[in-house]
Amino acid sequence: MAMARSEAAAALPEVIPASARDRPAGRRALVRTARFMRKRKLGAFGVVLVIVVLVAAILSPLLQRYDDNRQFLARNPNYQAAPSGGGSVLAQLQAGKTANDVSEFVTERFQSPNGTHWLGTDAFGRDIYARIIVGARLAALIGIFASLIAVTTGTVCGVVSGYFGGLIDLFFQRVVDGVQAFPALVLLLLIVQVFKTPPLWLTIAALGFLGWATSVRVVRSAVLSIRQQPFIEAARSCGATDIRLMLAHVLPNVVAVILILFSIGIGAYILAEAALSFLGLGPQGVTTWGKMVEAGRNGLDLHPWESLFSGAAITVAVLGFNLAGDALRDELDPRLRGR
Amino acid sequence: MGRYIVRRLLLNLLVLWIVATLVFFAVRLLKGDYVNERLGANLELSANNPVAIKQARHELGLDEPKWQQYFTYLGQLATGNLGKSFETRRSTWTELGERVPFTLELGTLIALLSFGVAIPVGIISAVRQDTWADYVLRGFSILSVATPVFFIAIVMTFFTLKYHLFTIEIVKSPHFWTDPKAAFFKYLIPAIAGGIAGGAGIMRLLRSQMLEVLRMDYVRTARAKGIAPNGVILRHALKNAMIPVLTVMGLTVSGIIGGQIILENMFGIRGVGNYLLYTITNRDYPPFQGTVIIIAFVVVTVNLLVDIMYAWFDPRIRYT
Repeated sequence: MAMARSEAAAALPEVIPASARDRPAGRRALVRTARFMRKRKLGAFGVVLVIVVLVAAILSPLLQRYDDNRQFLARNPNYQAAPSGGGSVLAQLQAGKTANDVSEFVTERFQSPNGTHWLGTDAFGRDIYARIIVGARLAALIGIFASLIAVTTGTVCGVVSGYFGGLIDLFFQRVVDGVQAFPALVLLLLIVQVFKTPPLWLTIAALGFLGWATSVRVVRSAVLSIRQQPFIEAARSCGATDIRLMLAHVLPNVVAVILILFSIGIGAYILAEAALSFLGLGPQGVTTWGKMVEAGRNGLDLHPWESLFSGAAITVAVLGFNLAGDALRDELDPRLRGR
Repeated sequence: MGRYIVRRLLLNLLVLWIVATLVFFAVRLLKGDYVNERLGANLELSANNPVAIKQARHELGLDEPKWQQYFTYLGQLATGNLGKSFETRRSTWTELGERVPFTLELGTLIALLSFGVAIPVGIISAVRQDTWADYVLRGFSILSVATPVFFIAIVMTFFTLKYHLFTIEIVKSPHFWTDPKAAFFKYLIPAIAGGIAGGAGIMRLLRSQMLEVLRMDYVRTARAKGIAPNGVILRHALKNAMIPVLTVMGLTVSGIIGGQIILENMFGIRGVGNYLLYTITNRDYPPFQGTVIIIAFVVVTVNLLVDIMYAWFDPRIRYT
């Protein structure tokens, strides 16, 4: 038995190292991953960055040290307790005291990085480190879900459009043209402004809709080349229905394209969300990096920390997802480079 | 070729109609209209005075049924009339005419910077593959692709402020032909930031295309024939590597004309992008719709031009 096995193994082409042939599937996946990391160093670096962002996103309650909205207060050294009976803040101000003297606490705003506040504090005395960690959760959530929406809806429309052709195709393609003729940011603005205060899911849906157009186009062109293949003809002559052909024969052959679209899109959606937030039109009620960059712009030369750190966080996250996505694309289908 | 162009022009018309329809109904889906966004802020007109609000809506034609507004709008579009701004009562064309020069100034600078730097850099990076020059240039472009344009601008602003490099004149909105020095400093940061953001992608794509083309047999043949190395690179390799790059360059040009909304907004440049933002926040429908349609027109026209240019770069491409 053992001999027969090694004979069969010997018949395999030499490219597979002898040690890899007898390994169980789990180990093989591990070896493949290791080889991927060695061969594509930039991709591996990207994967590491992505893992950092995801860990920050998932474990944010453990890592953030403080609540992202907590305002740090310090006792006011200039504070003079109001004379008993002579009461209200207004009365004291009218009595000639400045605002600096009448409040017992002041916010610890605009601190530079230090031991308590690793990345400093913002204009409201909130911890920038905590806000950046919480922002990672938003960025990951938005990037991944927007990409998921774009790719699933885009695949459905792209497969249908490419498979049937004719009028359906003409219709879908012109709508895609129309969507792509809009300046991207304007389209996002329009969708997001349907509500006075855009909720998170609407931002995600808007980004997904924007990506839908690209996905339809790419999936469709992949489907067009599959449709010509003999095995489709063969399956059809066996009596396969359109639905079965699309699901069982066309779809599995465009999976690589779909995976690439998904992974490459994430970085772009994070960037687009940052742009929206920067313009003040991002999701309301949550801490996002784009909002932090914008908030830090006032007095940039005096206390640049908030803008610089949150901007760097965006760059790191997008860089990670881009590099990982590029490596995956080169691995799965190098011909798609540049699309 | 002629038939192909005519067919594409007709399809473009269809696309423009889709854009016009989308934008018309999209703006009307938004919460609030011009009357309560702008006039409503005026206390006299708000809740106290429903008659005045009704009259204002009537004057602007906002009280007609949507489909009736839609057909009036399509009819106007067919004659090239983009409607009048609710706010200034001037035609959209006039309003755009004041904004386009700013956008073109910034856009030309961005295009010059991004194409002018990205193309030579992309070629050098490919020809000197795996040297330190390649690594530095590639690293820079990979980083730039991942950085939001506003962050590049903010970092540059930070250093300008910190070291008091120069001041920016925003209030007077100088043009290059009215006050070249002030205009230069005003556009300096946004142009470089936009140029970096736009050029990085082009450089990366051109590099990977050049690498592919440089390995082709005909390049080796050209070298073997004794053609000067630079001639091989520029005339034989570059021309073929440019085809996919053209598409991206077309998109950049469209983006420039669509206005750099963020950069214009950050640096107080009163161009098309800022105008779009302003009109949509005020729900000033006609100029917003008109501007979007003009931009869409430019985008589809540039796409068509790019497709026609393909045939020039690669004579094997034939359109029928």
